[in-house]
Amino acid sequence: MPGKLTKRSTHPFFVFTHWVNAMAMLFLTISGLYIAFPIINGFMGVARGTHFFWMFVLLINIIARIVSMFFIKCACEQGGECVEYDYKNWFPQKTNRHQMWPMIKYYLFFKKDYPITAKYAGLQKLAYWLSIILTFAIAYTGFALWGPTQDWIIFRIGNEIVGSLFGFGGGDGLMAMRLIHHWLMWFILIFTCIHGYLANIYGPSASRLIFLYKDKK
Amino acid sequence: MGSEMTFYENLSQRGVSRRDFLKFCGSTAAVLGLSSTFVPTLASKIAGAAESGLTPAIWATGGKCTGCLESTLQATYPNVADIVLDLLTLNYSAASMATGKYAGEAKKGVYEGDRPFIMIYEGAIMTGLGGNTLVNADKTTSLDDLEHVMHSPNLKAIIAMGQCAVDGGWTRAFPNPAGGMGIKYYLEQEGLDHVPVVNLPGCPASPEELTAVVVQALLLGSDGTLETGIQAVAADLDRLNRPKYLYNATIHDSCPRRGHFENGEFVHRYGSDAEKKNWCVYPMGCKGPQTYRRCPMMRWNDAQSWCVESGGICIGCATWNWVDNNAPFKGRHRRVGANNILPGVWKGGINPIGTAAALTGVVAAALVAHGFGMKAAGRCGKNATLKTEEMKEYDRKRLKKQGGA
Ligand code: HEM
Ligand code: SF4
Ligand code: SF4
Repeated sequence: MPGKLTKRSTHPFFVFTHWVNAMAMLFLTISGLYIAFPIINGFMGVARGTHFFWMFVLLINIIARIVSMFFIKCACEQGGECVEYDYKNWFPQKTNRHQMWPMIKYYLFFKKDYPITAKYAGLQKLAYWLSIILTFAIAYTGFALWGPTQDWIIFRIGNEIVGSLFGFGGGDGLMAMRLIHHWLMWFILIFTCIHGYLANIYGPSASRLIFLYKDKK
Repeated sequence: MGSEMTFYENLSQRGVSRRDFLKFCGSTAAVLGLSSTFVPTLASKIAGAAESGLTPAIWATGGKCTGCLESTLQATYPNVADIVLDLLTLNYSAASMATGKYAGEAKKGVYEGDRPFIMIYEGAIMTGLGGNTLVNADKTTSLDDLEHVMHSPNLKAIIAMGQCAVDGGWTRAFPNPAGGMGIKYYLEQEGLDHVPVVNLPGCPASPEELTAVVVQALLLGSDGTLETGIQAVAADLDRLNRPKYLYNATIHDSCPRRGHFENGEFVHRYGSDAEKKNWCVYPMGCKGPQTYRRCPMMRWNDAQSWCVESGGICIGCATWNWVDNNAPFKGRHRRVGANNILPGVWKGGINPIGTAAALTGVVAAALVAHGFGMKAAGRCGKNATLKTEEMKEYDRKRLKKQGGA
């Protein structure tokens, strides 16, 4: 990615939450796929146990990540000197809110140069918001399926809404909810493909930073 | 049914002994969550109600296969028809009595009469073509019939017997040309929902479920009559208008194969050794985890067996829109009804997994192509021609031009 990544660009706590998130997603995807299609025998107990453990990890982790953005400061520009509370990087900033369209043009090969001043580019911000929404959505649909919580009023409403989208009159909606949970997995996988691609297309420096907290080769 | 004859004489004439009857009371008490000390109370309530005034009932029908009535009439031990029909004088039953003028008059006699009555409704409300998808011999429609009954001030409650009456069932499966609908939804739509509806979902509904409701009504009725009791039953339903004690656990929760499920001992092919060992049929498409019903405890055909025990899968017959959502039945969810979102676009539903996998493939391919593009444009790798400072300068100018800081 153009612009220099320094240690200031992130924070050790974000390195930690990124790792936890990656692991949770990995284990939830593997166990979830097994729950959906147990093609070999012997692992349903393990798969469900794994799923039920990591789902709490995922949920606690995303909440910790969101809360910490109000307490942890990091660079507001790539390679820049200024530091700011992280949450500011998630919203449109004066210095780069006009860059969205040039950025889209850039990735569609209609523009040659990479427009950059902020730490996260406009598209990147949108994508990260999407990742939060997707995570909460899969957590919500998951808890709506989970026996101990599916009767909570907040999940019951959701089950009834998806039930009526997929079949007249609502009903319990568990089948529809299960499918939506399953689809969300594919959306997250698609997001992860794009995320991994864009983060690494310019070279390994972003990965070195977020996984290893190293800014130099 | 001569009222001079006692209830027990009446039963024994039909080959049901007192012992059988008490046994029935015991199993019904268990369904209702009562202890066995309630059995004598139950027995005397039923006998008392049968000997005093009977509650008139109409067994009306919409679009259906008559499976629910069959299922009820063929219950043999204890003879549920004897129990239930002795409490209700079934003055009119569209499917089990000879049709014609007299049947119509019998029905009229109930809803125009001066006694409280209840209606058991079997089948979907057929709203298609203005109701002309289900027409009587005299060219009136089933909707006209329903309207007459609903306007009777003596109608105390409706028991929606089976999934068709509950939400339209298979009758309303895509593309539903007959406009099949559940009775509760139809009455709400027409503003006729002043009478409580007790839903007994399932395809078919079982005689045990119907008797449980009737017996519960007897226990709850303030003056010992069914018509006050049935209203008390209706006041204690779950959010889908089902009696709570009948639909509070999934098939999967109480399935005898659940241990095999947890162990990952699955049947992947019929005729395999795993099937002989009675392992879990989840990979074959069992919908037990999503289906609320008591089949594993209740069992079918006089508690002989039930879907999974007989080697099949639960096809989720007690869930809403069950055909569209669960078919094809033999397989993990592969298709979903989407008629309410995009009518007719996905005929017969979406294949969700295939669609998602295909989309992921398309995105991955697009990214690879984009990667080649980025490489060709010289944007990545060591030779990337990224002039950061120049770009920042360009950006600042742009920002100024737009009147920014
Ligand atoms: C807080 C987050 C999550 C919760 C509460 C949750 C909960 C659940 C529950 C309760 C089930 C049903 C298990 C069963 O009945 O045996 C399930 C299934 C599943 N989960 Fe999750 N889950 C979460 C996150 C995820 C994530 C992140 C993924 C993948 C990216 C995922 C993928 C799946 C899949 C594919 C299934 C199988 C659904 C099917 O096709 O039958 N889940 N999850
Ligand atoms: S057979 Fe069906 S209901 Fe029984 S344990 Fe397996 S998945 Fe659950
Ligand atoms: S086991 Fe499932 S499919 Fe079979 S009768 Fe019960 S709810 Fe219906």
